[in-house]
Amino acid sequence: MSPRRHLLTAAAAWVVLSVIGVVLVAGMQIIPVIASREAEIENGAFVLLTAASVPVLMLVVVGLAYSALRFRSTDELADGPPVHGHTGFQAVWVGISVVLVLGLFAYGAIGLVEIRGAQAADFQVNISAEQWAWHFEYPASGVKSKELHIPVGRRVQLNLMSMDVIHSFWVPALGVKQDAVPGRTTRIHTTATETGTYPGMCAELCGLGHTGMTTTVVISNQADLDAWLSQQPRGGPAPSP
Amino acid sequence: MIAARRASLVPAPGLLRAIGGAVIGLALGAGLAAFGLQAELGQILALGYIFALLGFLLGIGAFRFWLTWAAGREVDVAEEHAAHGRAGDWRRYFRFTTDHKVIGVQYLVSAFVLFFIAGTAAMLMRFELAQPGIATSKDIYNTVMSTHGAMMITVALVSIIGGLGNYLVPLMVGARDMAFPKANALSYWMLPLAIVLVASNPLLGGFDSGWTAYPPLSQQANLGQQAYLMAFVTVGVSSILSAINFLVTVFRMRAPGMSLMRMPIFVWALTVTAALALIATSVVAMAFTMLLFDRLLGTSFFRASRGGDVILFQHLFWFYSHPAVYIMALPGLGAILEIVPVFARKPLFAYPLAVLMFVSIGVMSFMVWAHHMFVSGMAEFFHIPIMLTTELISVPTGIVFLAALGTIWMGRIQFKVPMLWVFGFLWAFLIGGITGVFLADVPTDITLSDTYFVVAHFHYTIVGGTIFGLFAGTYYWFPKITGRMYDETLGRLHFWWFTIAFNATFIPMFWLGIEGMRRRVADYPAGFGLVNLFISFAALNIALSVVVFAFNMVRSWRRGPLAAPNPWRAQTLEWQVASPPPIENFDQIPIVTDTPYQYGSPGAAPGSLGAAPARRLRP
Repeated sequence: MSPRRHLLTAAAAWVVLSVIGVVLVAGMQIIPVIASREAEIENGAFVLLTAASVPVLMLVVVGLAYSALRFRSTDELADGPPVHGHTGFQAVWVGISVVLVLGLFAYGAIGLVEIRGAQAADFQVNISAEQWAWHFEYPASGVKSKELHIPVGRRVQLNLMSMDVIHSFWVPALGVKQDAVPGRTTRIHTTATETGTYPGMCAELCGLGHTGMTTTVVISNQADLDAWLSQQPRGGPAPSP
Repeated sequence: MIAARRASLVPAPGLLRAIGGAVIGLALGAGLAAFGLQAELGQILALGYIFALLGFLLGIGAFRFWLTWAAGREVDVAEEHAAHGRAGDWRRYFRFTTDHKVIGVQYLVSAFVLFFIAGTAAMLMRFELAQPGIATSKDIYNTVMSTHGAMMITVALVSIIGGLGNYLVPLMVGARDMAFPKANALSYWMLPLAIVLVASNPLLGGFDSGWTAYPPLSQQANLGQQAYLMAFVTVGVSSILSAINFLVTVFRMRAPGMSLMRMPIFVWALTVTAALALIATSVVAMAFTMLLFDRLLGTSFFRASRGGDVILFQHLFWFYSHPAVYIMALPGLGAILEIVPVFARKPLFAYPLAVLMFVSIGVMSFMVWAHHMFVSGMAEFFHIPIMLTTELISVPTGIVFLAALGTIWMGRIQFKVPMLWVFGFLWAFLIGGITGVFLADVPTDITLSDTYFVVAHFHYTIVGGTIFGLFAGTYYWFPKITGRMYDETLGRLHFWWFTIAFNATFIPMFWLGIEGMRRRVADYPAGFGLVNLFISFAALNIALSVVVFAFNMVRSWRRGPLAAPNPWRAQTLEWQVASPPPIENFDQIPIVTDTPYQYGSPGAAPGSLGAAPARRLRP
């Protein structure tokens, strides 16, 4: 076979496998449970990155597999052609990588701004972490609780503090993960889109009880949330976040 | 020489005297701290370790030359040279010896021993994780997990550059030894005691902060934490010393005609690695020292309650530890690209671009550290530039695939064991690279950080980048180093067993991470039980395959068939001398006329031995 035929055969295999892969990936839900606008954006980023990686994966896999099958030699003394490089091919390779990477970066930057950008919020919760428990406080009503209650469809701001070591507040369904750091307050926003009860947990190794440092997040509509808030015993005056 | 031969109760410089020195040093330092300074336990351990390290180095003879010279006595060069040689005598591997080939073997064997210990720790972790619930205890799990990380990081940092690098760089550039042979030996002999210290951390209460040692957790952890911090600072000092040595050797000791652009690609990889180690390591040594001061001397660098900054530590730590990922991976990339042309029987494709790749990875690796901190609470504006630089570094990294694929394409591939590892490497490093993009992208990283996705990603990168490269290089250079051939069948068995088990272990972890399993936990929701059982079973197979490797290496080293000087018909200089190479490598310094990748050009001999050195060829 001529070098040209080898190249065309491998390229055809690459195109077919890439198309199949992209079709399979497009429209997939990758994050298992999605209950917020942020998780929706993150899932979109997942799908795009997975689709973009299929052709890259296939390029190398086809290149390796094709070479292993077709360029294997039994003659120990045979040498290949003395080719040291190919300027055009190298330029195209580097050019396409740069364009691909910049494209992925632009998409990621837009997603990041959408997640982190809007700082205004209509509902605030102060979260303080300690070894090994979460404490939630609702400054508007002074209520304190062991599990997080937030309204659906409203912009929620979570203010995180830690009393001892670094913890990280993670609610997979909300697409929210942020470290709670001693000595400073960190903030994160989310807008829930589905009501329900979801697990929350500490994602940053915080010592012996790290594994068990879990909590529950209850997303309900505003009326149910108000009813729940009014049933709770009031704590002292709420500190400002 | 005269002093050493005198009959005496004190043993000659060697391991015995070194251990004695360490014990005396420990007693002196600990005693001084306990009775002289009324110190606390941590301070006693610190002073005891510093004195023990000095005692060990004095005992092994690390400072003998310099002390003799400083005292104005005649320097005992003959003794140094005697220790150099005695080829075939296994005892030279347990002595302070300045021969770079002995030091290379010392590094390589020590790294493999440490790899086996840290692998055993991984088996303990997989035992705990095989079923939901707690089988051992959370405390034990955290200590074993932290120890596994600390040791494997050390393996990845020193195995290729310290082992294969020390052995091969002088040979490959046509030099008789490293630029500073005594400093080279010193940098190796700083490690054994540090490794003993890390390994003994469970006796000191263990530590539960992982190899990352984030404060405040690492400030409240047991004495085992301090053992890890002190040991890692020692490894850092050794690493800096060795980096200087590599840089000077490469830049000052190349054979006539070997311009920078004729250097073997492995040497280029190690040069960039050494530059990274030189620049970055002092930062982590400083961060760990500040942390030790917080623990031992009451400072507050990282104590928020007294005005310190917790996140500052993470910046300092990752400013080293991300370049460190390349300190681990670049030697592997270099070894792979060195091996590909030999077994594809074609010149290395795009050699100048591959050189540019190593240099640009080196430069860019200093601009990406904060991608480990996207959810840490660091300054908000920092996310976008770090995301950009992190994704851009995949452009030079991708060139390894360009060079490898370009070389094998239309080649005459021989699937000897080293070439199998090359293919395994390219697959693993590809998966590591692609999944890395998901962690560089902030929206997906928010979901993925601190999950098993990260665990799977960095094992694909570091096992893919370092361990596959280490195995490839060890098989490839085994005949050169030992003068004997490894067993091909056992090598194939090791490759397939390891590679299948490795992929079966880590591919499911990507899924676990996406589904929400956190990293560094001893227990997990029952729904993940079956997958974790499968992973534990697969991980056990990794360990079993490594037993095959160890058996093959030991048996072949003792009784393998004798190897020819150049069994692979390779063109780099180390293959132009005997196997194993003679003391001081070359009878005559070779002359280099081209890159060592002239396959397919009949009669090409880019590095020739024998002719008298011609000065005008020096670049």
